[in-house]
Amino acid sequence: MIRHSLAFGLTLLLGTASLPAAETIAIVVGSKATAIEKDAADELATQWKRLFGVTVKRFRDTIPKSPDCRLAVLVGSTSTNPVTGHLPGFTWPKISNQGLVIQEIAVPTPPKVLVVGGGSPAATFWAVSELGHRLGVRYTFRQDFFPPQKPFKLPRFNIVEEPELRTRTWRTINDFAIGPESWGLEEHKRFIRQLAKMKFNRILMSVYAWQPFVDYRFRGVQRQTALHWFGEVLRVDGDTPGRVAFKGAKIFQNPDFAGLTTYKQKIAAGKKLMTGVIDTSHSLGMTVGLSTSVLEFPKEFADALPGSTKVHQLKSLTIGPGPTNKPDDPVLTELISTRIRAFLKTYPGLDALYVSVPEFPEWNAHAQAAWKELDNRKSLGDHSLEKLVTSARNRNLIASGDRGEASIKGNVVGMAFFCRLFDDGKLLKKPDGSSVELVIRQPDPALFPILDRVLPTGASTLNFVDYTARRIAESKQLLAQLPAKKVKASLIMTLADDNVGVLAQSTTQHIDTLTREIRKLGWDGFSTRYWIPGELDSTVHYLSRASWDAKTTRVSAHHDLWEGILGNRAGSERLLIGWNHLEDATHTLDKNAIGFGFPVPGMFLKHNSPGEPPKWFNDVNDHYTQWMIELYRVQGAPLHRNGSKQLLFYYAKRSEFNVAYLGAVKALKAAATARKAKDLDTAIEQMETAMDQLNGAMTSLADVAQGQSDRGLIATLANFAYRPLVKEYEKLLDEADK
Amino acid sequence: MRRLPLLSTLILAVLLAAPAPGEDWNQFRGPNATGVSRESKNLPVKFSTTENVVWKKTLGTGVACPIISGGRCIETATVGPKGKQQFVVFGFDAATGRELWKTAFPAGTLPSITWPNQHASCTPTSDGERVYVHYSTIGLICLDATNGKHLWTHKTSMPFYLLGWGAANSPILHEDKVIFCLDDDLASYILALDKYTGKPKWTTKRPEMLGGYAVPVVVTSGKQTDIVMAGSGKLKGYDPGSGKVRWSCHSLLRTIMTTPAVVGDKIYVSVQSYGDTDRTLKFALLQWRDTNQDEKLDKTELGKAFWEKFDKGDANKDGFLTGDEIDDAFQAKTNRVGGGNIIQMIRGGGTGDVTKTHLEWNLNTKAPSNIASPLVVNDQLFVVKEGGISAAFSATDGKTHWPRRRIRNLGHYYASPVYGDGKIYVTGENGFIVVLQQGPKLKFLAKNDVGESCVATPAIAEDRIYVRTINTLYCFANKSTPKK
Repeated sequence: MIRHSLAFGLTLLLGTASLPAAETIAIVVGSKATAIEKDAADELATQWKRLFGVTVKRFRDTIPKSPDCRLAVLVGSTSTNPVTGHLPGFTWPKISNQGLVIQEIAVPTPPKVLVVGGGSPAATFWAVSELGHRLGVRYTFRQDFFPPQKPFKLPRFNIVEEPELRTRTWRTINDFAIGPESWGLEEHKRFIRQLAKMKFNRILMSVYAWQPFVDYRFRGVQRQTALHWFGEVLRVDGDTPGRVAFKGAKIFQNPDFAGLTTYKQKIAAGKKLMTGVIDTSHSLGMTVGLSTSVLEFPKEFADALPGSTKVHQLKSLTIGPGPTNKPDDPVLTELISTRIRAFLKTYPGLDALYVSVPEFPEWNAHAQAAWKELDNRKSLGDHSLEKLVTSARNRNLIASGDRGEASIKGNVVGMAFFCRLFDDGKLLKKPDGSSVELVIRQPDPALFPILDRVLPTGASTLNFVDYTARRIAESKQLLAQLPAKKVKASLIMTLADDNVGVLAQSTTQHIDTLTREIRKLGWDGFSTRYWIPGELDSTVHYLSRASWDAKTTRVSAHHDLWEGILGNRAGSERLLIGWNHLEDATHTLDKNAIGFGFPVPGMFLKHNSPGEPPKWFNDVNDHYTQWMIELYRVQGAPLHRNGSKQLLFYYAKRSEFNVAYLGAVKALKAAATARKAKDLDTAIEQMETAMDQLNGAMTSLADVAQGQSDRGLIATLANFAYRPLVKEYEKLLDEADK
Repeated sequence: MRRLPLLSTLILAVLLAAPAPGEDWNQFRGPNATGVSRESKNLPVKFSTTENVVWKKTLGTGVACPIISGGRCIETATVGPKGKQQFVVFGFDAATGRELWKTAFPAGTLPSITWPNQHASCTPTSDGERVYVHYSTIGLICLDATNGKHLWTHKTSMPFYLLGWGAANSPILHEDKVIFCLDDDLASYILALDKYTGKPKWTTKRPEMLGGYAVPVVVTSGKQTDIVMAGSGKLKGYDPGSGKVRWSCHSLLRTIMTTPAVVGDKIYVSVQSYGDTDRTLKFALLQWRDTNQDEKLDKTELGKAFWEKFDKGDANKDGFLTGDEIDDAFQAKTNRVGGGNIIQMIRGGGTGDVTKTHLEWNLNTKAPSNIASPLVVNDQLFVVKEGGISAAFSATDGKTHWPRRRIRNLGHYYASPVYGDGKIYVTGENGFIVVLQQGPKLKFLAKNDVGESCVATPAIAEDRIYVRTINTLYCFANKSTPKK
């Protein structure tokens, strides 16, 4: 688990001179080059065309001896590009399959040679993207930003790097219209390619039992449920504020499911989408995991699982084992197995299966028996269930007290169950006989000290700990309890939390703390958690750089990104001040009102109560306002590079959204206060202001909506905030008429 | 025997389709920019992308108001991919929507502008024979109205705006002259060109003006006719023959984006300019252009175009603009006006400083919009602003008809209200056009959905209303409206 950086990073400006017109650059790939390596070579050619205006010539297995050839770039490794192995004086460095090499080789005769490769085809792709970064290209998940074109000139590269964190996972699909559940395949493809350039190496598709991604039958019951966003229908017709973002659509939908009505159609579309995500990821050298709560099923299976109970969630769309379903219930085991097999059959390209350990209070009665079973299987030694319960009750997490106890007991039962289910490995076999990696997701932190003993054989873990990065950072001592040398562990990094919800968020300072911590503790990596990508460019850039370079800080990553995009330091400094305000707003909300913007029905009218907004509310408002001012200030400044003004305008309009949303909440509270005092004129006026502000908030978003998450946010607000508010306003008018 | 009826049918069809002269709406907001159609009847109350549509055309992006002149509807758009954009002027048969001609110009390197502005923002004007239109990278263009043939171009310097708004200035016609005012933050001016040849007749600099978007209006008071132009701090009357300033009323605010409404010799101004009366330009520049927030401006914080002005303002030559140096660089010392809200009635005519003699009344009200111009009709001044908040006042004495009432459509209001057939049409940016009954009390008639963002002010002519959304041009009329 030791991750040592071999980064020499020498950038001695010996450099080749600018390229005379008659001279050429050659890209040499091997005849055994994989598709990813060929893609990497194409990417390099595209970048150099933009950076230097040069057109490269392609060669296979040979360095051209033409005197016109100034530089030969060898793309690939010794195993796929034999030329690399025959360079005089060059020995391929000892690197892992993730290591990358960018080295200029001193050769006796021209052309000069630059080796750009890696320990695997994916690592070769990363080497090309790292070379681009060093030449000034900045990658974000929305697009690449290039510096102005200049004459061809390279620093002298001598770089050999290994990642500091070996698993760099990006989660997708998930739930809610504001998240990637609403993204179609094309959006996913664009996003995944950008992630590959930022050296992420795993895509995790997190799916729910009610979503349209897998079909199965069990004991005569055919699965029928195929829904998005918990079955909500999000209307965007009529005078929906910001409707321009929907281009005339009446209902907000994932574009790959638009117009589909039958279960079969939806399942087919779901399969096409997820298969597309898997294929795209593989084509860029990324592995793919599927995460699901294996103990939940659509409600039509209730009769097939006697004793089952509704799972507590929005719209109660699923069932799970009830108190009478013992963990060794053969019907339950059979149902779970049926579902897992259906997934592996539908998606044979999967590389990993993530199963979550849910909090099932119904199972808590079996905790003691499960503990004994685990002890028999794994020898738990001096540890006791009672000690774990005490630890869970007394910790400083959201799941503490009774909730903490329920969680740890449910986890113990769940672990015993999973051991029984997966220990023999049979259920992890794919149709071709190979196996997927098993990852246990979100084990309770109280289990960390004994995690190596309670996991199914060969399983690794993806750990949640708490909802926000700030909260985990405050309890980071828990991370040290996980035996990282024995258990492969990744941490869920919450970049933006769905409880804080629809408002803009950034928490890179705590992501920085956690990244340092898991690096120090020898964890394997991380997996992102977010819904709206919105403001996350800086955070994602930080993760991308800090995963490979331990010296990266939040501030250094910020300037690395923004100086690169803007082309000047002053703008980057102001943006840092702006982002500090955004982080302060995020943390203030997290501390004081974590469910403030949770995107569910009732999300807005829950603020319809009399009283002055509390101090924290005004603080949050001030922070968002300051963030907005800095964004417009930098956006309006001259001398920016191509594309940066557009990106800053996107942020600026989104920052306006936050200020207007808070303005709407404030006006709604003022209306409630006036209504309570029977001052209906003021109540009406304030209610109109609230509608106006909310309309402005949504219109601001629509002005710059870039992707489905942005549109999903407008659709969510239209249905859960704006229309209920208008109804409430009309009730108020009736009240005034009476 | 067979040919004759065919021929007569053909001739009849051509005659029916041919543009026929009628009521014109031949410039921004129609006759003298009033927004009032006196002749149109039976205008539709209800219309949409599918209801009461006479014709529609997809054009490309733009925010210029359509104009109707000599039976033709003229509109503009910027089309094509970035880097290869073209400025296109379209001529349609106003009755049928048949495209009569389309003339394209390479747009060149387009500057950054601020939404909702678009590059095709200038409303053309036409005398029925020629069309005149401005485009920032090209200049003032004259086309043959019958076939779109390019007749001449008067090159204009590229306008620059300290806050990056972008150009949106529209010419008018007066007698044999094209009058065009371009107030920017670099070199404001008003000029008159010979409408036949494009040769300049006069150019008058407006050095005390900041960037603004008012359109010139023509005001006759007694025997005196003036070209009246609203700008920073001042409403000015120019001699149409020489371009010399005849009179000036110093009652306006810093930033003027609305166009005055004229009734007889009365000029109605409605303006909202951000901030209080002390907020001169320096405050805005220190807030938005001082990137490093060191309380002073250096050259890199302003576009290169402004460096000459920068040097002029940098009194101590330390390479920075601080405090009053900022205003000195960009805002005339004699015209240091700030923000606020005003609705004023100023009588036209006079000479010299008429502030004390011609400013009839001035309302201190929050009713004005910063962009939508006032509508004055039937002795009522009507305004609408952000949020769909309307207000109305007596045009005679400024007394309030209603102070602040919603028109049932929220959002931004950039288009100006227009009037015809007893109705006021109020266009929201969100693509809804609210129809009100004009009168002493606010009466809502309908809310019509035109499907997409709408920034352009509609045109009314020949019993039809022409609406330009961000991409599409619609002609709406009641189905019962006979074809003229």
